[in-house]
Amino acid sequence: MLNLPFAADLRKHTGSRPRVRPDECARYSVGGCTPKLVFSPHNAREAARIVSALRQEGAAVIIRGAGTAQWRPPPPVSIDAVLDMTRCDGIVEYAPADLTVTVGAGTKFSDLQSALRAQGQFFPCDPSHAAEGTIGGILSGRRDGALRQRFGALRDNVLGMHVSLSDGSTAFSGARVVKSVAGYDIPKLFVGARGTLGAIADVTLKVAPLPQAEAGLVATFERLEPACQAALDVASSPLFPSATTLHDARSAHRVRSLGGGLHDGHAWMLVLRLGGTRGAIARQADGITRICKAASAAAASGVRIEMVAQAQVQHAWADIAELACGAAYSPATVAGMKVISQPSHVAAVMARALSLGPDTECTAHPAVGLTFVHVRADAHVSTAAPSGLRAFANACEAHGWSVEFLFAPPQIGEHLLPALPLRAPIALMRKLKAAFDPSGTFDPGRFLGGI
Amino acid sequence: MQEALIQRLRSAVGHEHVTARPDDLRNYAYDGSIDRAAPEAVVFPADAAQVAAVVRACEELRCPYVARGAGTGLSGGAIAEFGGVLISTARMRRILDIDAANRTALVEPGVVNAHISAAVATLGLRFVPDPSSQSACTIGGNVAENAGGLHCLAYGVTSNHVLGCEIVTPQGEIVWLGGRENETAGYDLLGVFIGSEGTLGIATKIAVKLTPQPETTRTLLAVFDSVDDASKAVSDIIAAGIIPAALEMMDRLSTQAIEAYVHAGFPTDAGAILIADVDGLQESVGETAAAIGDVCRRDGAREVRLAKDEAERERIWRGRKSAFGAMGRFSPSYYVQDGVIPRTKLPEVLAEVEAIGRRYGLLIANVFHAGDGNIHPLIAFDEKVPAQVDAAIAAGADILRACVARGGSISGEHGIGIEKRDCMNVQYAPSDLALMAKLKAVFNPGGLCNPAKMFPTSRRCGESARTLQRADLPEGIAPAAGPAF
Repeated sequence: MLNLPFAADLRKHTGSRPRVRPDECARYSVGGCTPKLVFSPHNAREAARIVSALRQEGAAVIIRGAGTAQWRPPPPVSIDAVLDMTRCDGIVEYAPADLTVTVGAGTKFSDLQSALRAQGQFFPCDPSHAAEGTIGGILSGRRDGALRQRFGALRDNVLGMHVSLSDGSTAFSGARVVKSVAGYDIPKLFVGARGTLGAIADVTLKVAPLPQAEAGLVATFERLEPACQAALDVASSPLFPSATTLHDARSAHRVRSLGGGLHDGHAWMLVLRLGGTRGAIARQADGITRICKAASAAAASGVRIEMVAQAQVQHAWADIAELACGAAYSPATVAGMKVISQPSHVAAVMARALSLGPDTECTAHPAVGLTFVHVRADAHVSTAAPSGLRAFANACEAHGWSVEFLFAPPQIGEHLLPALPLRAPIALMRKLKAAFDPSGTFDPGRFLGGI
Repeated sequence: MQEALIQRLRSAVGHEHVTARPDDLRNYAYDGSIDRAAPEAVVFPADAAQVAAVVRACEELRCPYVARGAGTGLSGGAIAEFGGVLISTARMRRILDIDAANRTALVEPGVVNAHISAAVATLGLRFVPDPSSQSACTIGGNVAENAGGLHCLAYGVTSNHVLGCEIVTPQGEIVWLGGRENETAGYDLLGVFIGSEGTLGIATKIAVKLTPQPETTRTLLAVFDSVDDASKAVSDIIAAGIIPAALEMMDRLSTQAIEAYVHAGFPTDAGAILIADVDGLQESVGETAAAIGDVCRRDGAREVRLAKDEAERERIWRGRKSAFGAMGRFSPSYYVQDGVIPRTKLPEVLAEVEAIGRRYGLLIANVFHAGDGNIHPLIAFDEKVPAQVDAAIAAGADILRACVARGGSISGEHGIGIEKRDCMNVQYAPSDLALMAKLKAVFNPGGLCNPAKMFPTSRRCGESARTLQRADLPEGIAPAAGPAF
């Protein structure tokens, strides 16, 4: 616990002026918890100096980007200081012909995409909270979108990284080029670490050329199983769509530009994003149509297929990306979780999730085996929610599916400790945390297994 | 070797699966690099439990150990530098399970890389990473080295294609990193295990990701008068928004060596030859191949040839893949480098490589993954002439320095091992290496699991092994560097 009179000393040690006024600090709160100090470092070295000084005071520090993931349960018990990374922003180096870009972790994802798009390129990821989210936050939260089906996961497209550690040092690992096996691939540890190992200061990413053309195919199925089967069959075919998402009726309704989704009796919407040359897109559409029809015929049920033009699918994607525990839901009234399973289990995951009650809705990325479950948990229905959600998580674990709670209203979130998957090598993870952050400075107690 | 340890090993894996006969041990003293050292015993465990028993015995009796697949590595990763126990995966070569619906397979570490694709070919699937040694190298070795291959440009390296590993830790525990799903909760320990060169533990089962086979693949060969023109074409292809499945370049010296060896049909007077693979749906492949051809012609290609059929395609690739073997006929020995540079810097780095060759009086041929900017200069020398060995090592180090000076890396896919460990200082600052040392200690605190690999010793980059001198390493790195230093 931080002793506030040290704030002036900290300023002397670090050369950085923290925000201390409660009204200013309140804007940097995490999960309803307001920090006593807020530092906004401009680079890796400054961040390391600050953290090292805070560590010596025994402070608990939370690293913050745009604050879009602040409602992840459980909420922090108390926060001494927030390390606001949004000033470590901007493009450090971008060589389009090398397909690499180096950016500050506090750079807004949307700003990066604009800069890349101007050169006919993009960072091939469609995370939630795309409008406000920062690169560092998206990586720390491992907020992969459905485009990973074609372009690989975030972890696959991070080449190098500068981090600031609690001992006051900074370290670079990986490389600034598209391929390197020199030394341990430490950047992978920071992707998904939720800021518990150190602060990401800048990253080098592998970018991709924008597809020559894009289009969408929307297949609405009467039944869930053939919709999932079609998604699996397409993923195993040489058609290589860019992304596949599956929506129940409620989720489909939120994709405004696809006409609010569903026609009479068709309850499941499968959206495929296609990309490549025009000839390839026509062929993808043809092949996928056949697969969808075959899957629904085999299940003796119906399917309706509609092609969607490039502008419309790109517009729709702004909605679709936010359905993966993103901005489509308010953490004040909804709990959101991600269920990881094998792709062939997605239908079973969705069926089980929807049995939680009528206030549940699901969006899946069926080709990669991720299902995002959203449960209404406001004041009217909240009393039983924590136990219901825990029971759901336990039932999932029994099937070998793992569940991560991504956000929840605070009164529920405090009852949702991170589940511990049976096979997780938790002892190694604890040792890793102890080696990288020996004083437990970074966001103590909220990671897997209470790390 | 202590008799007590030999007894423990025998009881762990069975009497007949341990050898300490000098004749046998000599067979395990080498890999594809220049370093040589024989282990004191070789064991052949059959499963994870036996590997764990061997590891516990070695740890308890303080004996170094190293795992080995096919021994095709190019950086000394599987060399038992300090003797000790070599753990061969030769008896762990079963494909345990193929799950076509989820596009995964579970295999043992001794399975040969190419056998995975062969086993799933009838399902329309394949395992993408394809190092040139794929008909011999094992998946366990691929995981240890994070092996690349010809198709990294579009498909990524081994770590992009492995979902999980069952490993034996240096504590002798059997744990899973990752699993059979596309994501795992918690820290991505699998991500750091892959490419850790056998220093963090030993993989005993590997869950690999399978990828649908492309419908069509076309191969295009473009002939240029100069390396500069070919390099410009590489940059222009990428700038045009095209990512070929593979994009390879060979300079004149390597083309001539290959032609003398396998007759692939390459013109021997060409300054540089570019080979591109384009794969995907029929509708797009023709169009993309034509676009690549146009770029090449615009950049001065004097000939652009699209392989007519599968036979011609195979002949071209056989030529490219035999480049290292061809150099072996051309020169008594050769030393392969593995630097990476931003691909826009290819022309200036290749010019510098040539200058380095002249400076040391050595012939250097170039064959490389141009699309990745991963260069493989082949330095010709004679192993029997000590001065040439030293010159080859020094020239190799100068090439790596040239790569790092342009923001590149000292290894794209061959690993650091023994060979390049003293060049790690060139690429990384002491604080960078200190963090790596901390990570190593999390898994391998005693340092007995493949000791002293990957971390710099007291020698300088490019200094011959014969000039070894003791000196202090920075405090953060010294324990990781290993017992000898």
